[in-house]
Amino acid sequence: MATVTESKKRTVRINGCVASAQAAKYADVDVITAYPIRPYTATMMALAQMVANGELDAEYIVADSEHSQLSIAHGAASSGARVFTGSSGVGVQFAYELYSPISGSRMPVQMMIADRTLDPPGDFGSEHTDALSTRDMGWLMGWACDAQEAFDNHLMAYRIGEDPRVLLPQMVCQDGFFVSHITSDVELPDPGQVNEFLPPYKHPYPLDPRHPVSHGPQIMPEQGPPLQLERARAMEDSMAVIEEVHDEFANIFGRRYDPWVEEFMTDGADVVFFMQGGHAVTARFAIQHMRDRGVKVGLVRLRTIRPYPTDRVQEVLSKFKVVGVIETNMGLGSVSSGGVLYAEACAALYESQQRPLVVSFMAGMGGEAIVLKEFYWMTEKMTEAQKRGKIEKRTHWVGFEE
Amino acid sequence: MSYTELTVWTRGIIMDKEGRDIVNSISASARIEGKYAQAMENYVDNPDRTNAPTRKYFRVSDDVIENELTYENEQPNIVVLVEGTMVKGWDYMRGMPPGGTLVINTHYTPEYMIRFVPGAERLAQLVCVDAAHLADHKWLYYRLGELGLDRLSTEGAAERSKAIAPDIAAPLIAAVVKTTGIVKMETIEPMIANKRAFEMALDQLHIMKLNPVAA
Repeated sequence: MATVTESKKRTVRINGCVASAQAAKYADVDVITAYPIRPYTATMMALAQMVANGELDAEYIVADSEHSQLSIAHGAASSGARVFTGSSGVGVQFAYELYSPISGSRMPVQMMIADRTLDPPGDFGSEHTDALSTRDMGWLMGWACDAQEAFDNHLMAYRIGEDPRVLLPQMVCQDGFFVSHITSDVELPDPGQVNEFLPPYKHPYPLDPRHPVSHGPQIMPEQGPPLQLERARAMEDSMAVIEEVHDEFANIFGRRYDPWVEEFMTDGADVVFFMQGGHAVTARFAIQHMRDRGVKVGLVRLRTIRPYPTDRVQEVLSKFKVVGVIETNMGLGSVSSGGVLYAEACAALYESQQRPLVVSFMAGMGGEAIVLKEFYWMTEKMTEAQKRGKIEKRTHWVGFEE
Repeated sequence: MSYTELTVWTRGIIMDKEGRDIVNSISASARIEGKYAQAMENYVDNPDRTNAPTRKYFRVSDDVIENELTYENEQPNIVVLVEGTMVKGWDYMRGMPPGGTLVINTHYTPEYMIRFVPGAERLAQLVCVDAAHLADHKWLYYRLGELGLDRLSTEGAAERSKAIAPDIAAPLIAAVVKTTGIVKMETIEPMIANKRAFEMALDQLHIMKLNPVAA
């Protein structure tokens, strides 16, 4: 019989970085591996304090670079540990070699990303290019738009990635500054709720001298395709698990997220923004003001980009006349000569019977805030396209045009 | 709708916590009073370096703050200089609408200091408070030892002290709250560690009233 105990749930005012550290603590991670780079560093500083204070019993390993950091994460996960790591900007890039080996050996390592613009030049600001450039490496990936969602995404990502039907690493992303350094109220759950939601991790084939197994040996070319196919299938199969886990999360913690897309004021909308991450907070205010003025505009926020919810994106975006993709990433020389989100949104819509016009906006680049009047400007471009029945050009650089 | 911005200019590492204490305590008080309030550090100034200028921001509104993600205060109504010599060299008055307040930690009078203030015609009041003296006249000497330490940054670092406003921040908070009424005295007073300096400052402010004109 269940006993009624006092809930240890509490609300604290913290930023996204600290929310991620708290999530790692609640997930009772075994190994943390760190190498400093802004802005994600604050997460590792918070975790170092937790370990030093005895609040969290975990190995805390400071690596000599991000490449070593991810190598340590890979090794620790192979021994059966629940691993937490993270990085930002060029740090994410320096570890690139490890992303495919970690997903290929099916190690559910979790990596927190607080986005930072890639060099040159050194810029603290947030652009999603750092994590997005690794999007095809077999890691589950999605963006939070505030500190609470970041906290929740970390717990859900562990649960999804560690599911025996999935066994894939996860990048849990948040915008540098806009989420990582803005404080807001975050509800920290009762540890009992987390225990119920996220049981202790057990990898099916850990490295163990008592039960020897081989990980990552050299193989012959004909052995490659089946392994690649399995990894691709794991990505596909994760979709059902992602939906299950979001349902269970809602039942236990009371916060329900659509696993794939958040729709905001899309009822009766003709034109919508399609975007990821923290700028959605300002987009919602802009949309409310424009709705007050009678403009039929809405927001579709992508919450998970790997696996890409192709069918869902097609179904949702097909309802509108014009879709404005806000990139916040660099896709130099890409299909739209803008960012990388445009191409996938268009591909998802290709089989639709009712394709909207799609236009891409380069906004929030270099870590600039996307302010209300820029959302108004982009909406105007979309409504002009709607009237004209075609787009003026595929990509607009916001702030560089009349 | 009432919306107010406060910007604190301070010096990296040696006076960084003092700057943060000012915006954090005022922000916490405003939220207790039911306002929408936000406190944050200037992201671009960080990681801070010893003595380099760093900015801390506070915003308060009766309504939801829609520019929550804008990383600088563009129109500060109140500006605080945590260290007196900062009065020269930076355009801390930029964007201030007419009718603003400038609070300086200095032993000089406002009549003396105003000559160094760029765009002083926007001010409704210039407030000088000898915070270093009121809090602990030796406070900086205690810190001199730290200048020799290779402390890379205070961003995310463990605080030396969890106490809010144990030294020069206390008189500065008293000066801001008393001259602007941005939060209620009784809300913020219980949070302040150095109550003696806080109380003393309330009686020892040097306030120069001005007639602001548009810049």
